[in-house]
Amino acid sequence: MNKKRCIGYELATAYIPFQHYTVSFPPMEALRKGTLFPELYKPYQLGKGIR
Amino acid sequence: MWVYEKKLEYPVRVDTCNPALAQMILEQFGGADGELAAALRYLTQRYYMPIGEAKAILTDIGTEELAHWEMIATLAWKLVKDAPVTKIKGTPFEAHFADHGRNPFPHNAAGNPFSATYFNAKSDPIADMHENMAAEEKARATYEHLIQLSDDPGVTDTLRFLRQREVVHFQRFGETLELLKEHKERKPFY
Repeated sequence: MNKKRCIGYELATAYIPFQHYTVSFPPMEALRKGTLFPELYKPYQLGKGIR
Repeated sequence: MWVYEKKLEYPVRVDTCNPALAQMILEQFGGADGELAAALRYLTQRYYMPIGEAKAILTDIGTEELAHWEMIATLAWKLVKDAPVTKIKGTPFEAHFADHGRNPFPHNAAGNPFSATYFNAKSDPIADMHENMAAEEKARATYEHLIQLSDDPGVTDTLRFLRQREVVHFQRFGETLELLKEHKERKPFY
């Protein structure tokens, strides 16, 4: 099992990378944005990606 | 056991009186991918989780979803609390008013009542974690639809906050999925 892991990903399996702590927004900015973590902040752009 | 804080997770501002928008917001109060379905899904699934981390994340996020449910109710209430009946007549909120008055009630935007069929608990941690990740993505998509429908700056601000929380929860469930896969691989050797 581990060997398969080393050479890459297995079929029929979903993967999500672990988040590692780096920096954080100041508390008030984090509350406004909805997350403490810049790397998880993905705001919705109105008009973008609307079909 | 829960500890209740007499404040919202995020300050909910509503700038207008808008019964039609209130009816659309109720999608997240009692709809398939709404906050009530999310809270009950996570708080129901935690019992058979094989690792403490999974139990903890389901309890934490399930609890936060209840806080979001409270915020959604606040949005819907503030949008209609000062609405005269003449401003409710002819809007999509009129049917809601006939049954529930101005108080929020768990149904979706089309008026279908909330149902436990919106979620599942399979006693299969991997299958359930996939459902949870999908639920977060579907809730994010719903919030994007609602942001497109909202012309109230305060409501849009709250919807953006709630949408961002879905993104964070997706990441947390993804990390939990990794832990569960690791646990499953370890299992045969004990």
